[in-house]
Amino acid sequence: MSAAQHAETAQHAGDHTENATHGAEEGFDAGTVIIEHVSNSSHDHPVLHLPHIEIAGIDFSITKHVMMMWLVAGFLFLIITMTTRRFLAQERPIPTGLMTGLEWLVQSIRDSIVLPNVGAKWVNTWTPVILTLFLFILMCNAVGLIPIFEVFGLVDRYVLGNGYSADSMINSVLHGGTTATANYNVTAALATITFFSIMIAGTMAHGFIHHWKNLVPPGLAWPVYILLIPIEFMGLFVKPFALTMRLAANMTGGHIAILSILSLVFIFTQVFESAALGVGVGFTVAVPLAVGISALEIIVVMVQAYVFTLLTSVFIGMAINVHH
Amino acid sequence: MDNPLVQPDPGLFFWTILTFLTLVFLLKKFAWGPLLKALEERQETIRTALDDAEQAKQELTRLQNESAQIIAEARAEAQSIVTKSRAEAERVREDLKEKAKNEADAILKNAERQIHLETDRAVQQIRQEVVELSLNVASKLIRKNLTQEDNDALIQESLSQIESSRH
Repeated sequence: MSAAQHAETAQHAGDHTENATHGAEEGFDAGTVIIEHVSNSSHDHPVLHLPHIEIAGIDFSITKHVMMMWLVAGFLFLIITMTTRRFLAQERPIPTGLMTGLEWLVQSIRDSIVLPNVGAKWVNTWTPVILTLFLFILMCNAVGLIPIFEVFGLVDRYVLGNGYSADSMINSVLHGGTTATANYNVTAALATITFFSIMIAGTMAHGFIHHWKNLVPPGLAWPVYILLIPIEFMGLFVKPFALTMRLAANMTGGHIAILSILSLVFIFTQVFESAALGVGVGFTVAVPLAVGISALEIIVVMVQAYVFTLLTSVFIGMAINVHH
Repeated sequence: MDNPLVQPDPGLFFWTILTFLTLVFLLKKFAWGPLLKALEERQETIRTALDDAEQAKQELTRLQNESAQIIAEARAEAQSIVTKSRAEAERVREDLKEKAKNEADAILKNAERQIHLETDRAVQQIRQEVVELSLNVASKLIRKNLTQEDNDALIQESLSQIESSRH
């Protein structure tokens, strides 16, 4: 992220924040800027100005997080389908190019995540879901690390000279390089997918009634059930809730850390009223630290995608292979 | 709550589920399904190929053992044939030798007997002729001196003399 872009962001934040405590002047409010970067775009300024869809009081506008998910989904679909089609069109199934990586990924997820948890009988049913879940979360996580839209926005504003206009789409996208999985609504939706996957897996394996009987181990004294049934029932919702919180918090945390450290540049500039000092702090402290945290973020991105996927397949496996 | 980080957003929730389910459906239909099937088929192909190779190796070993056994058997048989025919030849040779010897013996004995007979006959003839000749000579010499009675007596005497000299 460039300093110029951040300066601009500060302006932007100043312009658009009514309730900023000390952002009324042309000052830099780190908190507002960071929140604006990390959070979804407001429904008053959606990325695409679709006809305002509102059904039963729910706003279905295409915000920047929705757009990021669509980009990720489209990218994944194109890349994976093309690679697979090319591989399958060959006369002899020899993987080349991207296919070597994809094959490794597919086989390791199938053989080391899905198979040990779900079991051989259901592995082909759940591998596509788990694979898609992993790649979708991984790409959503990873794309937030790439400030590609900030670069597009800068080119639009300063190179093409379009200036700033709140209504231009590219300017709405300017802060669009965000992590959709840092939004609790997105991770909650993904955890909901997990929740229903568990239900469906249990019902498919044991039938509807037996699946619910599997909630608690059979053959215990009745006072135990009074305690156990509420606990296990709560557990049904705690599992996806934990998934929701873990993923969103991890994704938000890293970005806030990076942005806070980069904000040092502007804070120093403003407090000491010296651009040189700000740039100096930027080069000596802020950028090296941000690079380090970004490197850490790469690991977090992969680990969180892995953890979400692994836990989902563990939960599905628990519903299929019941042993208390 | 004013904090945009924790703003509930049912629209986004809805879009996420819709996006994800669509992606799962499309990828399963166009990528994961065929890909997983292909990978499984290839695994099966490799397994079959390895099994086949193992089987072929065992077959080869079996054939090698078999051929070695056949060669050993053939060699032993040839050895026994050679031994047997050598003994046979020896026996035939001995037989022939025996037969030849017997034949030779028979021929020899026959010849000996023949010689004996011929000799006997010749001696008999010579004796007869000598008697007649000497009788002729003697009769010529003494024709006038002897009577018939004397003559017969003389012949008888000389014959008995010859007889006695022979024994």
